[in-house]
Amino acid sequence: MKNVSPVVRGWLFFAIGFIVAYSIGIGLVFVASGSLVYSHLVTWILASFAGATAYSWGASGFSQLTKGLVWLGLGALAGFALGLVVELVVQGSLNWVAPIASLFALLFGFTGFFLGVAGNNAVSKGLISQISGTLIGAIFVTVIRVLMGLEWKGPFIFTEPAWVLGAFFGVLFFLAGNGSVSDWFKWARGIDTPEHHEEHYSGWEKYLNVSLDHKVIGVQYTITALLLISIGGLFALVFRTELAASQLQFLTTDMKLFGQNGPQLYNTFMSLHGMIMIVSILLGVAGIMNYVVPLLLGAQDMAFPRLNAFSFWLAVPAAVLLLMSLILGGFDTGWTGYPPLSAKAPLGIQMFFLGVFTAGWSSILGALNIIATVIRMRSKGMIAMRMPIFVWAAVATSIISLTATQLIGLSFQLVMFQRLFGMGFFDPAKGGNPVLFQHLFWFYSHPAVYVFVLPGLGVISELLPVFARKPLFGYRWVAMSSLGIALVGFVVWAHHMFTSGMNEYLRLPFMYSTLLVAIPTGVKFFSWVATLWKGKIVFPTPMLFVLGAIVVFLLGGLTGPPNATVSVDLHLHDTYFIVGHFHDTIFGGFVFPFFAALYYWFPKATGRRMNETLGKIHFWLMTPSFFILTFGMMRIGLLGMRRRIADYDPGLGFDATHLVLTIAGYLIGLSVLIFIYNFFNSIKNGDKAEGNVWNSRSPEWQVPSPMPMHNYDQPFEVVGEPYDYGLPGSQYVEFAAPAKSKHN
Amino acid sequence: MSHRLDKFSAFRQGLVIFVYLAVLTALEYFVAVTFKAVSILVVVAVIKVALVMYYYMHIYKLNEESDAEPHSYSFKTGTNRLGLWLFLLSDSFVFAGLLTARVNLLGLTRPHLNQILGLAVTAVLLSSSFFMNRGETAMVHGDKKGFIRNTIITFVLGLGFLLGVVAVEWPLAAEEGLTAGSGAAGAVFYMMTGMHAFHVFTGLILLLVVLYKTRKDKYSAEKHWGVEAAAVYWHFVDLVWIIFYPALYLIGTAL
Repeated sequence: MKNVSPVVRGWLFFAIGFIVAYSIGIGLVFVASGSLVYSHLVTWILASFAGATAYSWGASGFSQLTKGLVWLGLGALAGFALGLVVELVVQGSLNWVAPIASLFALLFGFTGFFLGVAGNNAVSKGLISQISGTLIGAIFVTVIRVLMGLEWKGPFIFTEPAWVLGAFFGVLFFLAGNGSVSDWFKWARGIDTPEHHEEHYSGWEKYLNVSLDHKVIGVQYTITALLLISIGGLFALVFRTELAASQLQFLTTDMKLFGQNGPQLYNTFMSLHGMIMIVSILLGVAGIMNYVVPLLLGAQDMAFPRLNAFSFWLAVPAAVLLLMSLILGGFDTGWTGYPPLSAKAPLGIQMFFLGVFTAGWSSILGALNIIATVIRMRSKGMIAMRMPIFVWAAVATSIISLTATQLIGLSFQLVMFQRLFGMGFFDPAKGGNPVLFQHLFWFYSHPAVYVFVLPGLGVISELLPVFARKPLFGYRWVAMSSLGIALVGFVVWAHHMFTSGMNEYLRLPFMYSTLLVAIPTGVKFFSWVATLWKGKIVFPTPMLFVLGAIVVFLLGGLTGPPNATVSVDLHLHDTYFIVGHFHDTIFGGFVFPFFAALYYWFPKATGRRMNETLGKIHFWLMTPSFFILTFGMMRIGLLGMRRRIADYDPGLGFDATHLVLTIAGYLIGLSVLIFIYNFFNSIKNGDKAEGNVWNSRSPEWQVPSPMPMHNYDQPFEVVGEPYDYGLPGSQYVEFAAPAKSKHN
Repeated sequence: MSHRLDKFSAFRQGLVIFVYLAVLTALEYFVAVTFKAVSILVVVAVIKVALVMYYYMHIYKLNEESDAEPHSYSFKTGTNRLGLWLFLLSDSFVFAGLLTARVNLLGLTRPHLNQILGLAVTAVLLSSSFFMNRGETAMVHGDKKGFIRNTIITFVLGLGFLLGVVAVEWPLAAEEGLTAGSGAAGAVFYMMTGMHAFHVFTGLILLLVVLYKTRKDKYSAEKHWGVEAAAVYWHFVDLVWIIFYPALYLIGTAL
């Protein structure tokens, strides 16, 4: 075995692990159900997980990753067994598909993984605290209910109020337990702490612990975003598979998982796909902004480093809560959570509300930090009109996140209270008004799309001059257009409600305000085209994604005004046309630029480049697949395909298109897998790239990569315009003393 | 307001503003019980908000030049001040959302509530703001004893407000049939007062923290950002009530 290559040994181990676990799985299913089933979800999950663990073991020995995977498996099994016992004790009967067992398996598995990978770290400490907090809160309410003589047992062991307080306590305990608030508590007790903490951890372990360095936090955000994108994408593939043909194939009414049957599970996956993707986008946006904005400004760190760490760590329990909602009964409302449906949905909706609420606070505090940083921490000479264009975009985005996010939190909170205390905000029987919810909800949730796309559009404007080797056309107008989109974005929300029975006189003004968004957006397109005009364009991977973003976003932009027009919207509302439209805007405005930014700034963070060939495969696989997906969606949407449904009439003739859409979806998934492999592989094995890889004028590229802890050794002064590429003798920044840099 | 007032003038200014606020509140009450002019109530509330923001919360300090050295206390205080105001801006959207819900659901009606009690708790909270201002002014001029005395009065008044709403007003309203589940009016009333009471509660905790840290001698006339932050937050809580009080007690006809 010694002279076998690690990959071969890995696959050998994989085969053994897979077959063994597959057999065990069949045995377990036989014990549980009394019949021999060769293809069961449990068997497949067990086998593929065991295979992956065995591969890791075979390929790299008993490494930290292997250890993490083993601990994950053991934790999940222990959690599952504990859940079964709890279910047996409380409900008095053994239920193999008890949601509580799945929940414990999920939480213990997660915790086990992080414990196995790096022993005691902020993630595992936080997760253990979150689990304890959840149990303490839930048991607290349960004891009170017992004392008051109320029903204390629910379908998920505890009652709904118990779960809500438990989940809330869980978040608080997570933050208290992992140490992200300890400095503030010390300050309150009158104990001073040093301004900067020494880094106790080296290498990748610092990413698993609380760090105040904006670059570490940026990477933490980005990795979490990639993880959530994968989970959200996986959910999409699950329901996309179900949609590949009419009728119900595997999400049938007979199946039972997480306390839901097949179609209910479809609804949960569909709803969670929406919100998990939204949260992952918020985290991705925060990741890029966190990493890049202080570097572009020449700041040593963000204005409030502790708040920055706190904002990130809020997002972790939020993600856990969102996943808990899947297991605790799910919910069937879509990501919008409209009452009255959400007022009657299963328990999962409460976890969903709390998860969004927590993620919302993460976004609010992150935005606060960005604005304060930009106002207070600019280097010398960086007047507003000489700031990099991405900073303008970050400010515009943060204005929305800082203020409007409170309204989605409030709207969800009001539904939570309606469910818990019978407060009749949205209950017409009590004089409430369901349309009020939609106003509060969309007041954030429409501007939210500008939160997603503005940083992406900023990335496009930031990178385009670098690769076209020309000044950015109309800098001032592009800067102002970001603010313009953000501000107009505040007064367009009711275009989501043309069909929902709001006052009719509101339709026209909201139609016109929505159409107005096209103007600042058009300014950006004009600038991009004019920047490319007669440029000496080069096409490395980031530039491909920038160009792809422009085309895809154009498609999303052009399909917008038809939806904004009342008469057309009445026909298109809630069809796949809308689904196609917003996937266009989000892919063009966020996903493509996000990948561009990752390829572009990856060398800055790691000192290595990502593989160009794999990057190009990623691009050329994802882009056509995406076009097929979105054009197909819009086509069947125009023909009358309703969104959010698990099944459709075969007589409509959509089967073939849906099959193509599913295949395209899988191809996008494959391209992202290639990206993730490339990303993690290049951290170790990528080509060295410590200099100014892209020949950029931006300050962060004038010093060697990766950046030291407090960024620039020497402060710099802004002495020229940021994007004067190709103008001889022009200079953007000047370092105080000769910086130790290798200019390429 | 670029120049700094001496201690006596600062105290006198706080008192004058308090008198203005008290008179305006009395005017509000008078307008509400006599001729129900919503526009006047809105104008009075806006004037009160402006007075509190300028003279008690010192919003103009956002414009103050600070030391350019990024590690200096003055620079950090400038950044902290900006951060606090951004937080308050964000927080005010929660209250604006609740106000929207109130206008949408209740329009020109309001829950039937105990008017005398409402006026009493409002007066208590307003006085607490006055003493908070006195406390902060004392700290600015290095008078720690004065700070502690005034802040304790603020704390007691704030606690009085909190109990007045939660322990007196709520049970009274519930007795008259206005409960959380009784209808839109009840839902709006408990949610608005509850959210505000939660903020009062957190403000009280902040007051305890700065009192404790003053006892541990952590603040001085030059360096007392914590005191300023707690004071500004406390005035913000008062400011919210300046809007919520007419919205719940004065505007429209009682159901």
